[in-house]
Amino acid sequence: MMDLNISRRSFAATGAVAAAAVLAGCNADTTAQGSAPAAAGSTAATPGVELQIFAANSLEKAMPEVEALYTEATGTTFADTQYKGSGDLVEQMRGGAPVDILITASAGTMDDAEEASLVDADTRQDMFTNELVIVRAEGSDIEITSLEDVASVDGNIAIGEPGAVPAGKYANQALASVGLYSSDEGEGGEYDAAIADKVVQADKVGTAAQYVATGDCAIGFVYTSDVYRYDGIEVAYTTPAESHKAIVYPGAVAASSEHAEEAADFLEFCMTDEDALAIWAEYGFELA
Amino acid sequence: MRFSKIKTRPESGSGFVPGPLGSCAARAFALIIAVLVVACACLSVPMVALAKTEAAVAEEGAALNEEVGIGLVGFKRYQKGALRPVNDVDLGYRYPLPSEATLVALATNEAIMIYVDAAAAAEAGLELTDAVQRDALIALVEQLDEESSRGGTLIADIAADREVIVTDAQDMTIGSYTYRFAVDAGEGRYCAVQPASLGAGEDPTTAAEASGLDLSEGALWCDGARLVPASEVPVAAAPGPLQQLGTFFSGVDYRPFWVSLKTSAVALVITFVLGLVAAWRTMGTSSRLKGALDSVFTIPMVLPPTVCGFLLLLLFGQSTPVGQWLIDHGVSLVFTWEAAVISAVVVSFPLMYRTALGAFESLDAAMLDAARTLGWSEGRIFARLMLPLAWPSIAAGTVLAFARAMGEFGCTLFFAGNYAGVTQTIPIAIYFEWMSGNTDVALFWVIVVILFSFVVVLFINLYTAHSQRYRERGGVASGRGRHRAVSESVPEAGGDALRIDREALRALIAETDFAADEKRC
Repeated sequence: MMDLNISRRSFAATGAVAAAAVLAGCNADTTAQGSAPAAAGSTAATPGVELQIFAANSLEKAMPEVEALYTEATGTTFADTQYKGSGDLVEQMRGGAPVDILITASAGTMDDAEEASLVDADTRQDMFTNELVIVRAEGSDIEITSLEDVASVDGNIAIGEPGAVPAGKYANQALASVGLYSSDEGEGGEYDAAIADKVVQADKVGTAAQYVATGDCAIGFVYTSDVYRYDGIEVAYTTPAESHKAIVYPGAVAASSEHAEEAADFLEFCMTDEDALAIWAEYGFELA
Repeated sequence: MRFSKIKTRPESGSGFVPGPLGSCAARAFALIIAVLVVACACLSVPMVALAKTEAAVAEEGAALNEEVGIGLVGFKRYQKGALRPVNDVDLGYRYPLPSEATLVALATNEAIMIYVDAAAAAEAGLELTDAVQRDALIALVEQLDEESSRGGTLIADIAADREVIVTDAQDMTIGSYTYRFAVDAGEGRYCAVQPASLGAGEDPTTAAEASGLDLSEGALWCDGARLVPASEVPVAAAPGPLQQLGTFFSGVDYRPFWVSLKTSAVALVITFVLGLVAAWRTMGTSSRLKGALDSVFTIPMVLPPTVCGFLLLLLFGQSTPVGQWLIDHGVSLVFTWEAAVISAVVVSFPLMYRTALGAFESLDAAMLDAARTLGWSEGRIFARLMLPLAWPSIAAGTVLAFARAMGEFGCTLFFAGNYAGVTQTIPIAIYFEWMSGNTDVALFWVIVVILFSFVVVLFINLYTAHSQRYRERGGVASGRGRHRAVSESVPEAGGDALRIDREALRALIAETDFAADEKRC
């Protein structure tokens, strides 16, 4: 009786100790994670400044390299950068997320942010241009020589959701130029019956690329730069520049930023530092 | 006064053969180890398979041809250039090159030009006039171009319908463009595209604008590397599977695990307390109020998590007056870790609440009334009678609530966002890792979740089975041995009412020392 009771208690105690140890380990871990950037920052000219960037999803691979370069050069650190569809980013800012810099993949989404006074209009600048391409899985035998060929493709077509994903809007504009989409604006229209049931909408341009890479979709509309950041896809066709609005990536400092000066410095660095330019070049972003 | 009949009995408890505690723990331990081993095996197979395809003899960005005795190191492919001056020097449309590049491969619509620095060629012993050596060089460039193409067009693909020019001349004019292969400017080296009609002292960019020439159309992409003798190319042995696993594990960001654990642990504590208290208080209210409360408490379980997330975002976000008011008063929760905890609490609460309520309601009301007649306070009835008797169900509810908190995705993503190290829990990490093409990391987290959930459920089940067995053996607390005799003598089929009467009777017969004993606790 007695020894059973003890073992029951010790059983519970073991569990409690294990839980405590795990939580302690977790605290130790987070403090270690947190102190590393702080230590790096304290040796530099601007200690303690941490920038929060909201960047278009297509910048997901290139931006961290540029950030690392900047941290090395100045000591300014970066909070976990958010890479989502540009429309989502603007909504997230509207929702109250703290942001220092916003970089979107279309003038339209930046206009929305500007109208809502989320960004400082004076700091707005066009940063990159990009091309809209149709991709297929690597080694796929799908041949596309014109936009009209999209209608005869056997398989699903990945297109970004036009409201949140600028690439999807450009894609719809391109499709509208050959009559496969009903609205020239690329938003609010209907797909032609020939492709309507084949279109799969993606929440980010990266998702569209991933759908093609995994074989869920036969082709997808993405940027040239997405081809370089995802394995397993290749360019099947580059859409003519005149088939859609010019693809530019505007960047601006957020109106609510507490580090507006440092944020502007970083934008400047992105556009002028030669090492940063080499990274953009490697990932296929052409400076605007 | 104690009632030791157990109404709910978990599956694991019923099949449990009572035995020495040591053997039971050892068996559980062996089972956990077995699961871990199997999972590790599952994990390592795809990892090794993935890694094997990437094993190469030369290091990344390097290749060599031993027969000809040449090699390339530091190979980089630049997909795009920039129309910007370098240190105020206008170069036209220029591609960056790796530092000290001595080989440049430029793909254009008309030709593929491979420029080799004359001095570097001499040092590497490369004769551009020798067709065999030339072809070897082209093959090396094509190989490395493909390795660093990232899915872009390959030199190898377009070489067939274009002229391939290998040269050591520093510039070359084709059509309306002049290509200057290795221009030093600022602190780096560049490959520049300029208008062919460039006059002396003219800036390439302004000249191109004046003649309406788009310099960025002049080239497709540019490769750069250093040409060296084959002996200087670093050759690394292909890493073994263990080494590759090591590299993989050291490259994984483990923060989602801690975030998940912290979030669900804190959420579980809150849910546990709130759920029990809510169930307890709801039970005691009038039936109409109870119906209303029950609906409110249960609705997060029925609603899609995104709706909960959306409502929370509206409630706390700055886009609504309520949220604005809260933010003005210092409650700024959106996209913080606290938001992740709140999301987890909201979605896991109904599970805790419902199981606890169900368990409390299935307790015999007469039993509770009997306790009341003995003068127990409601709080004491809850703590000493309802909780212990309903414990197996509550434990099950706790496990469910924990699992739900651990697996929370939609509401967290909406309300707390995806911030690595802050709100990025494992489910969110899985989704975003997969979306950004890191399938192996996503797979790793999937296995971690399966293992972790298994261990937690196993632990709780063992614990419940253990306490269950203890109850079956007799008494719920020490020093009550004599009551065991009472309850064991009661036939199982008797039913609570009958049992209570009998027990009350026996308790009366056992008289004063029994009452005195109860008062002590």
